[in-house]
Amino acid sequence: MSAVDRTRDIGEYVPAQDDDMIVCRCEEITKGEIRRAVHDGMYNVHEVRRLLRCGMGLCQGQTCARLVKSIVARELGVRSLEDATARAPMRPIEMSVFANDGGGE
Amino acid sequence: MKRYDLIVIGAGPAGLSAATEAASHGLRVAVFDENARPGGQLFKQIHKFFGSKEHKAKIRGYDIGRELLKEAESLGVEVFLNAPVIGLYAEKEVVARHADGVRHYKGDTVIVATGASENMLTFEGWTLPGVMGAGAAQTMMNINRVTPGERVLMLGSGNVGLVVGYQLIQAGCELVAIIDAAPRVGGYGVHAAKVARTGVPFYLSHTVVRAEGTDRVTGVTIGEVDASWQIIAGSEKHFDVDTICIAVGLSPSTQLLKMAGADMAEPAAGAGFLPVCSATGETSISGLYASGDVSGIEEASSAMIEGRISGVAAAGKLGFADAETVETRLNALETALSALHEGLFAPRNRGKSVPLTDEGIDNSQHLLKNGYLADDEVAKYPGVKRVSGVHPIIECTQNIPCNPCQDACPKQCIKVGANIVALPVFDETSACIGCGQCVAACSGQSIFLVNDDIGDNLASVTIPYEFLPLPEKGDVGTALDRSGTPICAATVTDVRAAKAFDHTSLLTFSVPRDEYMRARFWKKGAAV
Amino acid sequence: MSNVSDVIIVGAGVIGNATAYYLAKRGLRVTVLEKSEYIGNGGSSRNGGGVRQSGRHPAELPLVMYGVKNLWVNLSDELGMDVEYYQEGNLRLGKTPDHIKTLENLTNSAASGGLDVRMIDYKEAQSICPYLSDEVIGASWCPTDGHANPMLTTLAYYRAARRLGARFVSGAEVVEIRKLGGRARLVVTTDEVYEADTIVVAAGVASNKILETVGLRVPMNPALLECLVTEDCPPMFYQMLGTAMADFYGHQSKHGSFVFGGTTGYEPYTTYGGTPPATSGSAPGTCRGIIKYFPVLRDLKIVRTWAGWMDDCADHIPVIDTPDEVAGLVIGCGFSGHGFGISPTAATILAQLAVGETPVLDVSRFKYDRFKVRT
Repeated sequence: MSAVDRTRDIGEYVPAQDDDMIVCRCEEITKGEIRRAVHDGMYNVHEVRRLLRCGMGLCQGQTCARLVKSIVARELGVRSLEDATARAPMRPIEMSVFANDGGGE
Repeated sequence: MKRYDLIVIGAGPAGLSAATEAASHGLRVAVFDENARPGGQLFKQIHKFFGSKEHKAKIRGYDIGRELLKEAESLGVEVFLNAPVIGLYAEKEVVARHADGVRHYKGDTVIVATGASENMLTFEGWTLPGVMGAGAAQTMMNINRVTPGERVLMLGSGNVGLVVGYQLIQAGCELVAIIDAAPRVGGYGVHAAKVARTGVPFYLSHTVVRAEGTDRVTGVTIGEVDASWQIIAGSEKHFDVDTICIAVGLSPSTQLLKMAGADMAEPAAGAGFLPVCSATGETSISGLYASGDVSGIEEASSAMIEGRISGVAAAGKLGFADAETVETRLNALETALSALHEGLFAPRNRGKSVPLTDEGIDNSQHLLKNGYLADDEVAKYPGVKRVSGVHPIIECTQNIPCNPCQDACPKQCIKVGANIVALPVFDETSACIGCGQCVAACSGQSIFLVNDDIGDNLASVTIPYEFLPLPEKGDVGTALDRSGTPICAATVTDVRAAKAFDHTSLLTFSVPRDEYMRARFWKKGAAV
Repeated sequence: MSNVSDVIIVGAGVIGNATAYYLAKRGLRVTVLEKSEYIGNGGSSRNGGGVRQSGRHPAELPLVMYGVKNLWVNLSDELGMDVEYYQEGNLRLGKTPDHIKTLENLTNSAASGGLDVRMIDYKEAQSICPYLSDEVIGASWCPTDGHANPMLTTLAYYRAARRLGARFVSGAEVVEIRKLGGRARLVVTTDEVYEADTIVVAAGVASNKILETVGLRVPMNPALLECLVTEDCPPMFYQMLGTAMADFYGHQSKHGSFVFGGTTGYEPYTTYGGTPPATSGSAPGTCRGIIKYFPVLRDLKIVRTWAGWMDDCADHIPVIDTPDEVAGLVIGCGFSGHGFGISPTAATILAQLAVGETPVLDVSRFKYDRFKVRT
């Protein structure tokens, strides 16, 4: 782990032609929203997710997690970024099914 | 809480092999899988697999799944299907969903063999209905028995793109092109060649510019990319398609390992995080293993060995197998695994251009750029010998781990040798009887039987044929060359199907004598 | 960049970020040091989002009432980001006469503190929220309670403070506060030394490790809190919900998903080891509670569960103080799992304490040295 100064200059947000493109389909988050979030100080996937909910919909980031990560990394000018946290349930599960906990038999 | 010696998560090739191996040492094993059928991705896969007999080579994927399940169950492994594991909690507690409820289990050891999921790629219009992962298209075709569309573009020339591309043609779709941003075909040359000879063009160094359509895909524009992956102006090409399949790699499904707190690391910056594992697949958490694609993307054959390695390691850890037994077994498995890690597609060669085969022959650049061998380079390879009478032409030109052809020939005409990635050699001094076993056995469909003189100034060519309806003897059609270009009229002289051929038919057609080294596919009807 | 500022805040949770915002707004040079790589990675991103007055400890009631009246209503506008604050009331539900008794006690206590809260019958509860199970026999009702999105609130304060020039450094683990000339002045991280006139420690459960370096310790323990979130569905109701038995609490968010929390009773025994994982029995228990009161939600899918540490103080209310023993130091921790709702007020006060102003509310109940051994 290394210190990241959030005043680090990553340059101005420059609008791009494909900013309107949806990246997270479940939550309908665009590439431009993700890019702007980075310029607003969200310097990693966790904060971008918490701000925009991308990757937190029904598919749980199955499709967009890598895409979001690469957009954030590119905007920050870094090659490598931590993945988002993995949380149970690994597959969405109805409340009634979760509630029906048979325990350990 | 219900406790097992070993809980395996994922009933794919790695998981079932791990379970079988562990159970053979006396462990009480449970396997959980979210799907209705075992085998992981194997059940979608209708092609014959590569490798050697021990890795179930020349068996079709779905049959491998069945065999693996049978082996596991015969050893008393409890396999829970339709049972997604929703969490891997502290102290190796597994919570699985069963129908309308959840249950908790503990494993003294846990092997995570959850495989991988498809990567997606964004471009203008990528969210339109009709853009899908190649795996999704494969599921539609082979599990749900519906075609994903009528006219399809495949993005990605790795094995997934090539194999699914071929299946799309088999399912009756028109595959308009296979494209890849890389300058070279990524998958096995033999997979590319069997697609190319049906007439599908390959566009390397090309990517999708945009998917067109308002409510769904109605077309696609592709363009050539330069060295920095930017579209070269003016290079755009349009195709009318209703489906765009994406096959741009897989990412390990590591979520359960991350949730459990296993250490993750990137092999190189930006390469993606993988669980940090020992040689036996054990993670930073004692007794928790990662096996198969979840620990790094490879082929099903290596996943099976990796599963067995983790299975025997778990047996050793829990004292079901003594140190000597474990070591002997691990040595054998690791030898087998390293054999698979040789050749053109060895992990160390990833992303590299390899100029020569292990035999010192040029690796065909034509194949890598176009998806098929040039006519004038075929004869360079040791499976191709021009002799009179019926004999095989083996157009297997890359060092890949596969050798069923060697065992298929009852006359020992074909040799691969102990090194499984060596190119097959046709021994022209042996007496080929034209039985066609080798043609059907070749998972890459790269063996043809030719007879340079069947009279009337004609030669015969026998090709592996996996399309329906089967042509009939006497059907008049057109022979296509390796690029899929019609070259001459060709009449079907024989159609052979046998149980031993396992759904690969042998189609023999006659062509003028000077075309038998070019004719590699057959289509009904006259050339347009 | 110079490591000297007017105020250093240790901890970039909602308390630290909001304090940074209020100080930066005054034109002060502020540096926020955060141990985690992520802003708001502790309890601030791991709570139920309640902005609740009913059921509050009497000592905290003035803080939350002040916040609801003065700060929460305009917070989205002030910070330039929708923090999804809804002031649609709080229903605390009961199904048995015993439940009603519990609710009446809570209601009486809050009402005596000046809060508009009262007991209502099933019919009235049903008219407020038509999705209730008909097993509910009554409820307490506080119409001015509400909820907000804790992650957005935390990040909105961060963003606004950053825009005002506050310097945030993540991945900066504080190992020591050092005195200069008898006053706390230097903050040492694993790789830098920072200096300021005033140091605010707002690091949740991690505060003690830092305070110990200047000889202070707040009697608090980490306590697990677990939540779950559902898929989104069309808007149904925006009241904050709870029960007499505390089976669960939660609300529907602006996004359409429901956020619920609950307890298993085993939280105090969960070991403390960094970022907490959710436990395997918590979400099922919470789901059972929810279905009993809201059967209509039974087929909604859970997409995520999470857990976090509360900094549970011995008397379950925070320390908000400039301890007499150490000059130059401000403490804001021990919020005991209900800090989010009072965070705008607490941060306003912490900022005032940091610049030596008299706080807008009396904070004598939150003094550091209130913990005395019984005699």
